[in-house]
Amino acid sequence: MSSLSVTETATPVDPETQHSIEQFLYREADLLDGFELEEWLTLLDEDIQLEVPIRVARHPGSERPEFSETTNYLKEDYEMLRERVGRLEKEYAWSENPRSRIRHVIGNVRVIESTDTELTVANNQHVFRSYGDTADHDLLSAQRHTVLRRPDEDGDGFSIGHRTVYLDHTILNTKNLTLPLL
Amino acid sequence: MNSESMNRSSSDNKHGRINEIIEKTGSAINGGRYPLEIMNNSDLYPLELRRIFGQAWVYMGHVSEFEEPGDYARRYIGEDPFILTRDENGELHAFLDSCMHRGAQFCTAENGNTSHFRCPYHGWTYKNDGTLQGMPHMSEAYQDLDDEEITLEEACLETYRGLIFGRIAEEGPSLEAYLGDFTWYLDVLFGATEAGMTVVGEPHRWESSHDWKTSADNFSGDSYHVLTTHQAGLETETFSKDPWEELDDFPAASYLACTDRHSIGYYLSEDGETFMGYPEEITDYLNPELSAEQRELFGRSVFHFGSVFPNMSLIHGIQSGGWGGPWACIRKWNPRGPGTTETTSWWLVPKEFADDESFLSDSHRGWESLSPGGAFESDDLTIWEGISNSSGAVTHELRDTRGNMQQGMGEMTDEVDTIEDPLHGPADVTSKGLYFDERNSRTILQSWYEMMSETSKSDNDPEMEAEP
Repeated sequence: MSSLSVTETATPVDPETQHSIEQFLYREADLLDGFELEEWLTLLDEDIQLEVPIRVARHPGSERPEFSETTNYLKEDYEMLRERVGRLEKEYAWSENPRSRIRHVIGNVRVIESTDTELTVANNQHVFRSYGDTADHDLLSAQRHTVLRRPDEDGDGFSIGHRTVYLDHTILNTKNLTLPLL
Repeated sequence: MNSESMNRSSSDNKHGRINEIIEKTGSAINGGRYPLEIMNNSDLYPLELRRIFGQAWVYMGHVSEFEEPGDYARRYIGEDPFILTRDENGELHAFLDSCMHRGAQFCTAENGNTSHFRCPYHGWTYKNDGTLQGMPHMSEAYQDLDDEEITLEEACLETYRGLIFGRIAEEGPSLEAYLGDFTWYLDVLFGATEAGMTVVGEPHRWESSHDWKTSADNFSGDSYHVLTTHQAGLETETFSKDPWEELDDFPAASYLACTDRHSIGYYLSEDGETFMGYPEEITDYLNPELSAEQRELFGRSVFHFGSVFPNMSLIHGIQSGGWGGPWACIRKWNPRGPGTTETTSWWLVPKEFADDESFLSDSHRGWESLSPGGAFESDDLTIWEGISNSSGAVTHELRDTRGNMQQGMGEMTDEVDTIEDPLHGPADVTSKGLYFDERNSRTILQSWYEMMSETSKSDNDPEMEAEP
């Protein structure tokens, strides 16, 4: 896919649906920022695929894709995500001991596809991260495409069926891609 | 340098100080010590770019990335930006990204395909063999120009087993001489199957505040760090589909092989049928060019990792514990200033498996496990940044603080055995060396010293010419 087709045509939805989608994404971001990852896992469907494709600096008009179709920083199924969450809970996970200070700012939330059972939602985000005893911080910029499954009759909210994180970086500017940064 | 002058310039002082650090590093290595300050040092860094990256064979890419005429990619030797490309006649070249008119850069993308490079400043245009094609108003403005003389600056290029290396210096040893006995191990890692290896997709790239030497040292054969650095990864329960069983006695099955410049470590199984965990068909694809010993080593292989001095590292195999694989990976630690590195990490598989989707899915997972998003490397990077941070400490400079790489020296251990067995190739090999023998670190640092030391130079290095 090219960088431009990320912003596909928005599909009009009623204000109530738009509101509930935004509230869902905000709550999810809070769970990530707070490393409440066991709770975050409960939002995922078991057939989830989480992908973070590699982005490449391209010449305009290049026939090659800007986002790699074969290689990813992360390409995770549910079990792999569980492993990652389990790993981060270990005392010796040095990459997050102490925890990074992370804050998602989410905006430009648009529904780009809608069916009776699913909504595909695009959102932009800036994720701030600082770590350790330093004034430095990293900023990761991305657009996410998330397939939200609508709740069934007795369900109590959306669930996440699929997510692709399109980074605005071709060279990562942070020491690692820990789950809460996505 | 004129040391008789009563008024020594500050550059004279700096010169003396830099040489002192280099020489004391050289004399400390044999005692298994080294000055910690060299891992982040703004005085040494410009010399590393000139004396090491200006002289050594530096890994630039793999032939599978440049199969068609016109395929190109931006690649670096030290911090110098080169364009690696295959010309219309099939020859590989590496051109400095700098127009011969005013020095402007003309490569705006990471990679692509083009028959020409056109400078955006005044429009000088070059064919992809580096010769001048022309420029705007050539017949009016350049009636007496010797256009044959104008070609892009080009690095020397040589390849071994599909690995493309470039060198800035026009004189020096051949690539095979530079790699020396290490070619034996590269044969096993990159020539095990008849069709050879191929790069899949685009590489991981990231910049971090660690020195290129720190990661080259780690990959040269440090398994000692695994139990501490990667404790979280090792303790994590994995739920993968095809877990690779733990070896019975992990350290015992490990070997460290050092040549005069480079170093590699590997894990072997007792039986001959491991083949790094590749699907069974691998036995149909084995390369008949390999010697019987190389074939047997590959057959018993589980996991290899090593470093080619200065800034290439490699991985090939499968990790225990069910973290995916098998896969091969080439690393390049691009220096980006003292204590700063931009890492590129390519994923490779044997060509014979390049279209096998289920294999690729497992292999991607293995590659990913050692990446900024991976379960293991994220911890390394955090720790390496700390090394860079503290290595710049004034305390290290004023107190001449020494780090330690004494494992395996003298009477330090009775666990490590020297292996004399053609199965292990021509290098100096020790069993359990990955855990209890730091010859790998001493080898890499010795390579650093030999290229950095003025005493091994005949030269007139501009950096060291003290101008009054």
